[in-house]
Amino acid sequence: MDLRAGDSWGMLACLCTVLWHLPAVPALNRTGDPGPGPSIQKTYDLTRYLEHQLRSLAGTYLNYLGPPFNEPDFNPPRLSAEALPSATVDFNVWRSLNDHLRLAQNYQAYSHLLCYLRGLDRHAATAELRRSLAHFCTSLQGLLGSIAGVMAALGYPLPPQGAEPAWAPSPSHSDFLQKMDDFWLLKELQTWLWRSAKDFNRLKKKTQSSAAAVTLRLEAPF
Amino acid sequence: MLALWTWIVQALFIFLTIDSVGGGLLKPCGHIIPESPVVAPNTTFTAICVLDEECLSEHHLNANQIFWKIKDTRVPKEQYTILNRTAASVTLEDVSSLGSPLTCNILLYGQIEQNIYGIQIRVGWAPEKPKNLSCIVNGQSNMKCQWDPGKETHLDTTYVLKSEWPTRQLTDCIPPPNVNNSCTVDMVVVYVNMDVWVVATNVLGNVSSDRINFDPIDIVQLLPPYNVTVSNSKEISSILKVSWANPVDKPFEGLKYNIRYRTKDASDWTLIPPEDTASTRDSFTVQYLKPFTEYVFSIRCMNREGRGFWSNWSAESSGVTYEAKPSNAPSFWYEIDPSQGHGYRLVHLKWKTLPRSEANGRILDYEVTLRGGKTSHFSRLINDTKMTLNITNDPYVASLKARNIVGSSDPSTLTIPGHDFKADLMESKCYLITVIPVYDDGPGSPQSVKAYLKQAPPSRGPFVRTKKVGKNEAVLVWEHLPIDDQNGFIRNYTIFYRTSSGNETAVHVNSSHTEYTLSPLTSDTLYMVRMAAYTDEGGKDGPEFTFTTPKFAQGEIEAIVVPVCLAFLLTTLLGVLLCFNKLDLIKKHIWPNVPDPSKSHIAQWSPHTPTRHNLHPKDQMYPEGNFTDTDVSVVEIEANEKKHLPEDLKSLDLFKKEKITTEGHSSGIGGSSCMSSSRPSISSNDESESGQNTSSTVQYSTVVHSGYRHQVPSVQVFSRSESTQPLLDSEERPEDLQIVENGGSGDGASPRQQYFKQNCNQDEISPDLPHFERSKQVSSVNEEDFVRLTQQQMSDQRSQSSGSGPMKDFEDISAADNFGASNDGQIQRFETIGLEAATDEGMPKSYLPQTVRQGGYVPQ
Repeated sequence: MDLRAGDSWGMLACLCTVLWHLPAVPALNRTGDPGPGPSIQKTYDLTRYLEHQLRSLAGTYLNYLGPPFNEPDFNPPRLSAEALPSATVDFNVWRSLNDHLRLAQNYQAYSHLLCYLRGLDRHAATAELRRSLAHFCTSLQGLLGSIAGVMAALGYPLPPQGAEPAWAPSPSHSDFLQKMDDFWLLKELQTWLWRSAKDFNRLKKKTQSSAAAVTLRLEAPF
Repeated sequence: MLALWTWIVQALFIFLTIDSVGGGLLKPCGHIIPESPVVAPNTTFTAICVLDEECLSEHHLNANQIFWKIKDTRVPKEQYTILNRTAASVTLEDVSSLGSPLTCNILLYGQIEQNIYGIQIRVGWAPEKPKNLSCIVNGQSNMKCQWDPGKETHLDTTYVLKSEWPTRQLTDCIPPPNVNNSCTVDMVVVYVNMDVWVVATNVLGNVSSDRINFDPIDIVQLLPPYNVTVSNSKEISSILKVSWANPVDKPFEGLKYNIRYRTKDASDWTLIPPEDTASTRDSFTVQYLKPFTEYVFSIRCMNREGRGFWSNWSAESSGVTYEAKPSNAPSFWYEIDPSQGHGYRLVHLKWKTLPRSEANGRILDYEVTLRGGKTSHFSRLINDTKMTLNITNDPYVASLKARNIVGSSDPSTLTIPGHDFKADLMESKCYLITVIPVYDDGPGSPQSVKAYLKQAPPSRGPFVRTKKVGKNEAVLVWEHLPIDDQNGFIRNYTIFYRTSSGNETAVHVNSSHTEYTLSPLTSDTLYMVRMAAYTDEGGKDGPEFTFTTPKFAQGEIEAIVVPVCLAFLLTTLLGVLLCFNKLDLIKKHIWPNVPDPSKSHIAQWSPHTPTRHNLHPKDQMYPEGNFTDTDVSVVEIEANEKKHLPEDLKSLDLFKKEKITTEGHSSGIGGSSCMSSSRPSISSNDESESGQNTSSTVQYSTVVHSGYRHQVPSVQVFSRSESTQPLLDSEERPEDLQIVENGGSGDGASPRQQYFKQNCNQDEISPDLPHFERSKQVSSVNEEDFVRLTQQQMSDQRSQSSGSGPMKDFEDISAADNFGASNDGQIQRFETIGLEAATDEGMPKSYLPQTVRQGGYVPQ
């Protein structure tokens, strides 16, 4: 009888030990490093916010440019503005890129677009427009930093910073063609932001699910 | 307290000077170092007076003739130090208490005091570390930060608000002049974490505050809603609609609100339940208000998710609810003037105006109705609050209604007794005696009392029943007796209860109660209970009620069962844990290791090693104990997969390279089985024939090449691929062959296969995705490669007819390929830009099934 009692006490002790050590199992301990998740989420939020910001900025700016640029169905052929990074890449090509490539493309496109955006400032007449342009530029600068942060968190190297293309209005440009450039710049920005939001959302879900997979793998040996 | 000061006093001194060479300009005979010192209080300060060489010789001076003065007081000699012939210093203990200026003087010719030089000493503190730094974002871009600068420094101190993102330093914020505790940053960016700190600098040093790190979105305070208006409804007098305009300058869309209101003269606010106003809107209808009452409203708002702060309350706005019909009739009374003869009398009716809370609007007039006598019905509208009628001596009933624009109140009635009125009262009936004082200006508030001429015991007792029966208690309820059965004032109740065998117990209960809890009771017992009501004159029993107490209390069974189940569960868990611990032992006993020929290495078949193969078949078949533990195989495959999943920048090249390297490890069986299984499918799939051929050929040829490059020409390999060995193998173990086929052609192909499977999973999870969404899952695989791969996969799958899932998947993907062009066109269109990116259905990838499947391929 005594032996039996001892056995059950041993079992109980063992059970208690197991329960005691459960919190130490890494798979159940998710309090540590949050991983890239939060920074991706923030980048996504910022992209959405920039979309929202651009919507009002583009409205104001196109009105400032006047007709035909502020007409809703104005859809000119892309004549100039070849220097702008185009977001209208084939969907399948874009999808076939990996995360690193897509992030790098995003990063490069925004640093490029930012330079051109700063050029818009010299046209802008009203103080209010200039101010919202400046705020948008600052936000875009923030997005660049955010993307760099995400890339760092995922262990990707930053794309090499080439010589920043300086904004230089070509003297031969007519006023109309310059407005056309501005129009295309805003349009490109909109397309890029729209695409980036999708990219970050996808990336966010991907990291979430891979975090779950890590948990499973850790659980397996236990 | 230490007095601190800074002098700006300019004193005039007669300096001992020498003529400069050019004449005119006078040059002092010496100078003091330091020139314009700033000293912290309670510190020691040393100044040195240096005499001019030229002056020394001219006036025959010496440094020991120097004496120091603060204002007009001479500094004691003990504090002087003669440094050399031309210089002497003075050390002052606490300058702040002494004053300024400090002058260096000399005694000329033993008696004439002559001033050489003087300095102003400024006293002040080094800046303290700024504390309590906090920031708030107004709208979407302005951020105001505040801090506590600490003790006054008495010196020019600059404060600079610094900020930085993780990646870059941001522009400093410099407060406007005369502000040392706040600064407004012009443009902040939400959703980017920033570090903010303050640096305070003056001549005595600089100090930084602690850094604070935040995302500006979490400290946003919006402007309050504006243009608040309140409107009422003519249909419903208890509601008011509040409308407002939302602040425009905000970095998010979703808002939630607090709406508070009060009546105009009240001071306490009522808050509308926040859950009713937790979404973006610009109006709200408040219900359950009093009619014809003025209410004051104000609103505040904040981020819907609760990030940031509430805005300030908006400006107050008020509105009046619409009128409702008066809720009460005015109380009224009569006076009889019997002076009239001939069977007539004068009756003066009087009433009071309704208070605003009962009038529910503006009272237009009153309607007086009289019934009885010869004129059976008489009605009149009146604006006044009194009325005189000439009526007969018959009894009358007068009624009065107040009327406003919406309607009239319920009538209040008054009986005007006949000329010869005499009351006829009965015993054991309850009478309500009301006394109404009548003043000159109308009736006062009535007082009533209930009375019996003579009381009697109640006609019946109360019906008692149980509301809830517990194990050891029962809650009894009853209703008060109707007034007709009471026959007097009920003074108390008595509850009698007994078991079928036991004694009866009586409990007295106050007459105001209608509920009583009996306890303690015995469980599982039949109880009989009845109740008696008592007036002053005696009591009467009610009917008897029986109930049985239950055996178990509520939740008792659960309390037993749940712990037992839990204990069982834990024991099982423990058992499983033990099994896991002793897995090796159990395995050894139950599943002894069976060698797997498919794991044999390609090297063993090489023409150069047949002898080894023959000599040590056992050793060669199970190199490195690969077969002893299946877990090891899992790890290997995962490692391989990892190698493939994070694709590189040069995805195409690297992918091909990887293929080569991994195929170095691939097993010959796998390779050849792939050949044999895919070959027949080529004929059924014409357009992919060439690609497939290449892929299989390359794959196979590389296998051997990488292993025996220096020994065996690659051509030899092809002859090996025609080997019948795998077929022999499959003859022996047909189920293994099938597994190998499933797994693709060895390790090199398995990651792609894996990816394919993954795709398949996702498609199963969300089958209604648009095609391009699906196709995006194909990551670094170059498009051509991918097509070739999927086709190969398909042919593999078809040749096996191994299920419809993968087939469907292939069709989806190829459909996606076809859709590529149109998608491209779609994105060119400007309107797509506005699409909500939140609708992105990037599907969560479950790695679980994948792992399981890998496990399925493992025991080859």
